[in-house]
Amino acid sequence: MRFDRYEDRANLADALEQMKAKGFSYLEKITAVDYKDHMEALYFLVDIEKNENELIKVRLENSSLWLPTVMELFKSADWYEREMAEMFGITIRGRKTERLLLEKWDGIDPPLRKSFVWGQEYRNREQKG
Amino acid sequence: MEGQEKRPYSDAAFMDSKQEMDLLVSKSLAGREVKPNVLFANLEKTTKALSSGMVKWSRKNSLWPMQFGLACCAIELMDFGSSRIDAERRGFLMFRATPRQCDVMIVAGWVTKSIVPEIKRLYEQMLSPKYVIAYGECATCGGPWFESYNIMKGIDQVLPVDVYVAGCPPKPENLFGALVKLQKKVGGEVEV
Amino acid sequence: MQITRINIGPIHPSTHGVLRLIVDLDGDTIEKVEPHIGFLHRGVEKLVENRMYMQNHVYMEKMDYVAPLAVDELYVATVEEAMGIEVKERAQYIRTIELELQRIASHLFFIGTLCNDIGNLFTVFIWCFADRDRVLRLLETATGSRMFYANMRLGGVKQDFPKGFEEDVLDCMDYIEKRTKEYERFLEKNPIFMERMKNVGILSSEDAIEYGISGPTLRASGIDYDTRKNHPYYAYEKASFSTQVLSRGDSFARYKIRVMEIRESINVIRLAFKKMPEGDAIGMPVKLVPPPIKKNEVIVRRELPRGENMMYMVADKKGPYRLAMRSAIFVSMAALDHIARGHKLADLFAIMGSLDFVMADVDK
Repeated sequence: MRFDRYEDRANLADALEQMKAKGFSYLEKITAVDYKDHMEALYFLVDIEKNENELIKVRLENSSLWLPTVMELFKSADWYEREMAEMFGITIRGRKTERLLLEKWDGIDPPLRKSFVWGQEYRNREQKG
Repeated sequence: MEGQEKRPYSDAAFMDSKQEMDLLVSKSLAGREVKPNVLFANLEKTTKALSSGMVKWSRKNSLWPMQFGLACCAIELMDFGSSRIDAERRGFLMFRATPRQCDVMIVAGWVTKSIVPEIKRLYEQMLSPKYVIAYGECATCGGPWFESYNIMKGIDQVLPVDVYVAGCPPKPENLFGALVKLQKKVGGEVEV
Repeated sequence: MQITRINIGPIHPSTHGVLRLIVDLDGDTIEKVEPHIGFLHRGVEKLVENRMYMQNHVYMEKMDYVAPLAVDELYVATVEEAMGIEVKERAQYIRTIELELQRIASHLFFIGTLCNDIGNLFTVFIWCFADRDRVLRLLETATGSRMFYANMRLGGVKQDFPKGFEEDVLDCMDYIEKRTKEYERFLEKNPIFMERMKNVGILSSEDAIEYGISGPTLRASGIDYDTRKNHPYYAYEKASFSTQVLSRGDSFARYKIRVMEIRESINVIRLAFKKMPEGDAIGMPVKLVPPPIKKNEVIVRRELPRGENMMYMVADKKGPYRLAMRSAIFVSMAALDHIARGHKLADLFAIMGSLDFVMADVDK
C-alpha cells in the first residue's frame, strides 16, 4: 500500500469527493479494526487507469461511534456500510441501518468486537494478546 | 385357590397368547386325527414372504433423493450424479427439487440457525417412509466451524439421521458406499 | 399497476447456494429485486483470530469452494509478505500452473451449471463435469486431494510435481482445447441458448465501475483491468499473457469471455512448462514458533476466477489480529437489483447464472 493517511470524521465527505475528482472512482472496501481503546474505519480506493491505490483511515473514539454515509458518492458503499454497522456496532448517520447477515439474533454484542468472547470452553489454551 | 383343578398348561405359555391359541388348537385337533394340509400351509408362508419381500425389494431399489446442496459438499453431490460415478445404476435417479416426490434427503453442507425452520418444513412435507443421510463432517458434528456463533453442531440436533458419512469432503465413492448401506437397512437385512 | 410480491425461497434448484430473493412483479415484468443473504454466515473473520498462522488454511479454502486453491494462495501470500519471505523460483512456476488448472476447472463448472439453469440442457452439464473430473485428477496426482488441497507452505509448496506429470498435463490440455471448440459449436447454434442470453442483462462500463465490480464481468463490459496484468505476480510476466475484453456487456458476453479465458489459461500452462527452471521448490515446514513479523499491516490482491479478491491483515505475534477479506461477488449481488429491472421473470435466472456467484463467499 502506497499512501496511508488519517482524516477527521468532519472532513471525510469532502476528502472522498476530492479523491473521486482526481480519478479514484472505484471504492474497493469499507471496513473497520477494533483496537481496544479506539476503533479505526478504513476506506480503500483504486484508480483504474493509473493503477494506484490509496487507503484513508478515520479514527473513532469508543464514546462516539458514528460515521456519515458516503452512499451518494459511491454506489458500492451501500452494502459495505450495512455490513460494517452490523458487525461492529458503528451507527451510520444519513440512512436506516438494517440487518444484512444475521437473522434472529437478539440482544447480543456486535460479533467482531474484541469484547465479544465466544467458545472459550472449547479451547484449552489461554487467550493470547 | 384350593379345590381348583390343575391347569393343563404352564404359566409361561399363558403369557404368549399366540402360543396359547396354538396349544388349544392342537389339543382340539389331536382328538380328531386330521392330517394338516401341507400345501396350504406352505402357500400361506410363501405369499407372505413374497409380498413383504417384494415391497421391500422395490422400495430399496428406487430411492429418489432430494437436492439439498447447501455448501461445498454439494459440488461432490453433483459429481456423484454425473457420469463417472453413476448414481442411476442403483436406482438413485431423478434428483427432484420438490419434497413430495422424494424418499431420501441428503444434507450436504453446514447448517446455520437461520435455515433450520426451512429444513424442518421440508422434512415434514416428505411422505413416509423417509430417510436422512448426513453427508460430510459439517452435517455430522459441526465440522471445522465448531466454535462459531451461528452454526448448529450437526443436523442430528434437528432431524433423525440414518447414515453418517465422514470426510471433508467425502469422495463420491464414499457416498456410494453409504447408499449401499442405506439400501441394506431399507431392505431389512440389517438389524436397526 | 398492481404489484405482486413473490418469494424465491432459500432452497431452490437454480440459485447457486442458499439465497432468498423477494421480487416485486407487475404482471411478468420485474420492478424490484431484493436479495436476503446470510444463510451461510459463520463468522470467518472472528474465527481466524483465535488460531495461529498456518492453522488458518482450513477456514480460507471453504470461502470459495469452487476454486479453493486460489483463496489459499492469497492467504499464504499475505502471511509471506508480513514476514518478508520470498518464494523460491521453481515454486513460483509450480504455483502458476496449479492456479491456471484451478481456473480451467472453475470455468468448466460455470458453463455446466449455466446450461442447467437456462433450458435444462443437462447434456452439457454432464460433459462439463466429466471434463472437469479429468482436470481434478491431475490436481490429485500433484497435491494428494481432490477438492481441498492444503498445498501451499511459506516460501514454496508442500510437494513437487511427480515424474511424468508434464506429459499428462499437456495431453489433457490438448483434449480440453478440442472440447471447448465442441462446446462453442454446440451452444452457439442452439436457438434456446441464444434467445435467452443475447441482449439480456446489459451492464454498461460506467455502472460497472460505480458498483465496484471486477473480474470477467468487468472485462465483458469493456474495461481492460486484470490484476495479472496490472500488478503482475509469479510467472505471469515471463509467460506472456494477454487480457481478453469484450464490449457488449450482456449475458452472452459474460459467458463468452470465460470460454476465451480457458484458452488463454491453456497457453499460459504450455509456456510455463517450457520456461520452468530446475531446483528446490519445497517451502518451510509448519512449526509452533513462526518466523518473526516484519510488517504490521499488509494488503495483497489476487485475481480469482470470479474477480479480484483482496486481504488486509493486521499481524500479531502468533496469529492475525484482524483479517479483512473483500470478495468480488459481494458487490455483484448488490448490483443485481440494478441489472434486472425491466426484464421478465424468466430472464432473472439467466442473469444470475451469468454473474456466477458462490454463496459462501458472499456471507463470510
